[in-house]
Amino acid sequence: MKTKKNYVLLYIICLIACMTSCVKDVDFDQAEDVVLTPVFEVDFVYSRFDTDRFIDPGIDPSIIVPEVIVRDTLNYDLLSTDFIVDNLERVELTFEFRNTIERDFEFTLGFLDDNNVLIGPSYTITANAGNGEGTTPIVTTQIITLDNATINILATTAKLISAIRVQNLNSSLRGILELRSKGTYFFNYDL
Amino acid sequence: MRAILLFAISLLSLFGYSQNKETLYDFTDLPQSLLLNPGADVRFNYHLGVPFLSQIHVNAGLKGASLYDVFADDGRDINDKIETTLNTLTSKDYLTATQQLEIVSFGWKSKKNEKIYFSGGIYQELDVIGYFPKDFAVLAYQGNQDFLNQSFRFSTISGSAELLAVYHFGYTKKVNKSMTFGARAKLYSSIFHARSAKNKGTFTTLETPQGSNIYQHVISNADVTLRTSGYRGLKDLEGKEIANKLIGRALLGGNLGLGIDLGFTHKINEQLAITGSVNDLGVIVYNKDVETYRARGNYVFEGFETPIQFSGQNPENFLDELEEAIPLDTLSTTYVTMRPLKFNGSVKYSFNKYDDGTCNCYLEGEQPPYLDAFGIQLFSQFRPKRPQYAASLFYYKRFFSFLRTKLTYTIDDYSYNNIGFLLSTHIDKINFYISANNLLEYTNLAKARGASLQLGFNIIM
Repeated sequence: MKTKKNYVLLYIICLIACMTSCVKDVDFDQAEDVVLTPVFEVDFVYSRFDTDRFIDPGIDPSIIVPEVIVRDTLNYDLLSTDFIVDNLERVELTFEFRNTIERDFEFTLGFLDDNNVLIGPSYTITANAGNGEGTTPIVTTQIITLDNATINILATTAKLISAIRVQNLNSSLRGILELRSKGTYFFNYDL
Repeated sequence: MRAILLFAISLLSLFGYSQNKETLYDFTDLPQSLLLNPGADVRFNYHLGVPFLSQIHVNAGLKGASLYDVFADDGRDINDKIETTLNTLTSKDYLTATQQLEIVSFGWKSKKNEKIYFSGGIYQELDVIGYFPKDFAVLAYQGNQDFLNQSFRFSTISGSAELLAVYHFGYTKKVNKSMTFGARAKLYSSIFHARSAKNKGTFTTLETPQGSNIYQHVISNADVTLRTSGYRGLKDLEGKEIANKLIGRALLGGNLGLGIDLGFTHKINEQLAITGSVNDLGVIVYNKDVETYRARGNYVFEGFETPIQFSGQNPENFLDELEEAIPLDTLSTTYVTMRPLKFNGSVKYSFNKYDDGTCNCYLEGEQPPYLDAFGIQLFSQFRPKRPQYAASLFYYKRFFSFLRTKLTYTIDDYSYNNIGFLLSTHIDKINFYISANNLLEYTNLAKARGASLQLGFNIIM
């Protein structure tokens, strides 16, 4: 049976082809070791306080206001998603104040949950006094690091609360206080 | 969420397919050659494919990288390898996959006119191509910190996926001694389709030393579209319901389209022949179960102003603003897509005619065949970004009456050393064939940039 012989030959060829075709020298288990570590830079809060807008120069400069506090809340739930809580390793919040007003300003930042209850730590930064209108601004830079433990505590954040406090204001004070800030988000996630 | 997942699968998963079947093209011993060129010079009385087994075809290709680049067991950290691979890949690289399964295949010689051969059938096809979304892969993998002031382009997001059933009927006519012409009408029933192409716009993180904040995050002239059909209706179904729905669509219940294949074989003389064909010249009209997602607009984010009292502005809500600036529209308007158009052409020189009559190197009643042939073949296919090309040299050899083979050497997008081989056995009426390419890579498929396999059983007379 010549045909049968040929079939056997064919079968062997196919078998050899199948046996030699394979995937070698690779280790797909390595997929478990894949770690993504992107770093994202995202703007955080900003503001600009210009004495021209808030202090009437016509007021008698001898009248001194002992303390002014401006408070604000804003919706902020970036830290509350599961993905962030699970995979965000840390956040560095970089604050940069530029001040020409001859007073120190105290900036406070806190986190509120849905019920407006303060959670986690609050942070206070003092922006150093400037040298008056038209002078080179005095720059104060501070970095606050939220580590993974803190991020977990802040997981129910719904709002940010900020406050700026300044003492002994009078109408002779002139200048601008600028706040610029960013968050640097360090992720670390497995596929 | 599922929409995002779908988007991710259809785009990020790097697919790229070329449907080149260089070994099967103009292999006129097999009826499947009629699917590549309806004007193939076949000499059957009839053929019948074994249902579900007459053609099983899979093809995968990866341009720009191989599995080995990332998964090599070489002691290096996989994350380093990914980063290296990421840096070498460009948005022109892609991953493709094609799978075809012939469900029914048949053909017969016209009783009224011996010069006419009819053929038809049904096959199912899955096509996926995904270009490497370079910019957003980098953004996801490395973040924007190292890419300040550089634009991430939405145009790098491009891909498509389709699952469809094709009903076809063809007509092959030997016009005269030197000319064979053929045409095949196709009715497409699309089961599922998704496509995102020609996206525009950029995302940039600009440093702004004089601005209100440290950066500006700018989405500029964004225009990103994902068309889907056959997805909305599946969203709320489960298991068996999905299977039933898909089968219903395959049975002409999907989005329908029409197309045509054309082809010819011209014998310049007894031994020299040229052939040419165009496949899938057609369109599918998607009007059922369509969901198109489109986002367009410009947006600048500078952070949150607080305390807001200083500027007297209204408090902002980042997400509301973003949605207003770049609204995501969900449309269900009809759209039309061309099928991936394919061209084939060849020049073949046959020689070594068997005519001493002492061995059974040809079937009874057949003209004594040429035992050898060689030539060149060209292939081209239209893809979302640019056409793909391939060129092959081939050698055809008939060993005994029952064994016919073809060896090809192909240059294409994936490699310069693609060897393909087809083996077809013809014992009585029973035919079995198997073909694969990239044979040099078969000893380690992980290093291959692409591989293709076809096999099937026919009854041929």
